[in-house]
Amino acid sequence: MSVITIENLVKRRGSADILTGVGFQARPGRVTGFLGPNGAGKSSTLRILLGLDRATSGTALIGSVPFVRLPDPLRTVGAMLDGSGAHRARTGRAHLRWVARSAGLPRARVDEVLEVVGLTNAASKRVGGYSLGMGRRLGLAAALLGDPETLVLDEPVNGLDPEGIRWMRTFLRERAASGRTVLLSSHLMGELAETVDDVVIINRGRVVADGTLEEITGSHRTLEDAYFALTTGGAR
Amino acid sequence: MRVLAAEASKLVSLPSAWIAMAAGVLVPSVIAAITASSALDAISRGAKTAAGVDTGYQELAFGVVGVIVLGVVGVSSEYFTESAESGGGRQITTSLTAVPSRLRLLLAKMSAIAVVSALLAIVAAAATMGAVRVALGEHAPALGAEDIARLAGVVCYWVYTALLACGVTVLTRHGVVPLALLITNTSVVSVTYLLTKITTLANYLPDMAGVRMFIPKLGGDSVEMSPLTGGLVMTAWVTALLPIAAIAFTRRDA
Amino acid sequence: MTTVPAPPVRTRGREAAQALTAELSKLVSLPATWLTAGGALAVNLILTIAFTAAGLRGSTGTKSALDVGLASIGYAQAGFVVLGVLAACSEYTGGQIRTTLTAMPRRALQFTAKQLAVAIVVLPAAAITAASGVMLTAGALGDTATPVTSGHVAGTLSGVTAYLVLTTSISVAVGVLVRQTLAAVVVLLGYLFVAGPLLRDHAAAAKYLPDSAGSAMWFPVAGNSDAVTPAHGALLLTAWTVVLIAVALLGYRRRDM
Repeated sequence: MSVITIENLVKRRGSADILTGVGFQARPGRVTGFLGPNGAGKSSTLRILLGLDRATSGTALIGSVPFVRLPDPLRTVGAMLDGSGAHRARTGRAHLRWVARSAGLPRARVDEVLEVVGLTNAASKRVGGYSLGMGRRLGLAAALLGDPETLVLDEPVNGLDPEGIRWMRTFLRERAASGRTVLLSSHLMGELAETVDDVVIINRGRVVADGTLEEITGSHRTLEDAYFALTTGGAR
Repeated sequence: MRVLAAEASKLVSLPSAWIAMAAGVLVPSVIAAITASSALDAISRGAKTAAGVDTGYQELAFGVVGVIVLGVVGVSSEYFTESAESGGGRQITTSLTAVPSRLRLLLAKMSAIAVVSALLAIVAAAATMGAVRVALGEHAPALGAEDIARLAGVVCYWVYTALLACGVTVLTRHGVVPLALLITNTSVVSVTYLLTKITTLANYLPDMAGVRMFIPKLGGDSVEMSPLTGGLVMTAWVTALLPIAAIAFTRRDA
Repeated sequence: MTTVPAPPVRTRGREAAQALTAELSKLVSLPATWLTAGGALAVNLILTIAFTAAGLRGSTGTKSALDVGLASIGYAQAGFVVLGVLAACSEYTGGQIRTTLTAMPRRALQFTAKQLAVAIVVLPAAAITAASGVMLTAGALGDTATPVTSGHVAGTLSGVTAYLVLTTSISVAVGVLVRQTLAAVVVLLGYLFVAGPLLRDHAAAAKYLPDSAGSAMWFPVAGNSDAVTPAHGALLLTAWTVVLIAVALLGYRRRDM
């Protein structure tokens, strides 16, 4: 049910081709890693998936429905995008409260997710005073409010300290193990190799490799070697 | 000198600065042309004998909104926080690491704003007076020696107003409140003008005093102030505010 | 642990109500909302004192507590304009717009909820601002004030409140269109205080512009058969508001965020 299906996504902005036929799937029970250099189109793909940007053509579905038609988006898909996603003048708790209200979630849920991400002590402080890591954790908290089946995360460990990175890795693996779908994008090879089951590599707006971690690493020593071979070795 | 050049190039590379400058020139000249042609109408109908002595100068008083935006944006752009995807940074950190002496940075910035405002005032004055001459034709009041002094007053008023806007924005570190207050006050019947109806002390507020540099006789029963006095009062306001802004800027966290 | 109860499929009605409470929660938890509303009230009271002092000395044309008490609204409206702009443009700080649109992906509904939330918050604020000014003036002028019927007072105060609510709605729409706080503030206040008055002086058609028509709702120009009546003013301002909201919404729905 909660398979993410992306098919033939094309996005053109003016004369620039941002995406030229991106397609892959993210299945439940597995962590899918979306890997690529800066400017490859990872964020664009995720933004189109979440209804923030419009594709020129192609489809991006959650289950069998585009994100903007989900009756209850917050309880179906949790999205963790750039930064904290919160206005700097509000407190962390006030931010989560309005998000919870938009889905009719009980107030107690806000305190629960704050506990899960470890922000209970900072919840009454203004987001403007949060460190980079705290802001990211707030973003994750918002994604977890509705206890969704699917998680979409754009560079989740960006800004986290080593303890946070390990925590995130364990957390995401647990979620996948419980049957949920996790799609994350990254450009940190080493970390990704510890976390994911499936890998999709994107370069210059198209998918250059798609398979399990073992398949992609193949005969290379590490995922990093495989990645460079695929993205710089003229793999078209 | 290099710092001044850097600040000037920063200022003119802001799109909002160009819009402000365009407004500063267009608003007074276009409105003056309209007013002048309706005055011409009235003269040819016999309702008036000559265009008012303040033709063109009234409009240059509102054109100051352009330099207000310039002065505010020149400072607020330093404090604007970039989005998180671009790193959440602010230009002030770059500026302060490039020019470690805060006082020098602030002086350069204010000088750049003053110079650009002065140039803008000269262009706007020329455009406005030109528009008036074109619209009124033979009925245009002759440009004499007093006009040179009045136009100098216009330039001075515009530069001082830009510096005051700049100084206030240094104190608030964002542009919304200074812009809201200053633009509201630029209206035809400004808040400060209303206050002069209550107490004659309000005539010593910077804009009320400053406008006397080129419009010595405001309508109604307002206090008469010579252009020189007006200029001195406005100078006093500027010399009071700018050091306060400088102290705040050099002492506090960026 | 509170289990998140699996609810039945959410109806559109439910969704709309939840969007409204979310937007209200956002507005109320933003310090700028209170600061701008409070600022408008404070400015209004200060200027009312000024106008009343002038009224006591007889230098205003009228002695009606209503007219003198409301003369300052023209300036205090700047506070409401800034409130509307900030309600719209604060979404673009910290990437909050993405949180908003992933929680509430149906943009027309979310935008409408935001407009409604702003109206709900501004209505009492505007009413209090207007009424407090008038009461202050009435108290100060005392017996010297021209008597007015309570019906007239109620009608005028409703007119001012409606004017302020619609003006704030226009500011939200402009904020959504322009997405930059400073630009929206400059455009709106520049129009209200510089361009608008100048246009009114020179073009007869300017009386149909939103602020001119709107001010007829509470400051009708007396004795001029050409002037806009309060009822027409209300219709015109409402029409302008609807058009600007529609234009803003069209851009908002299609745009990449």
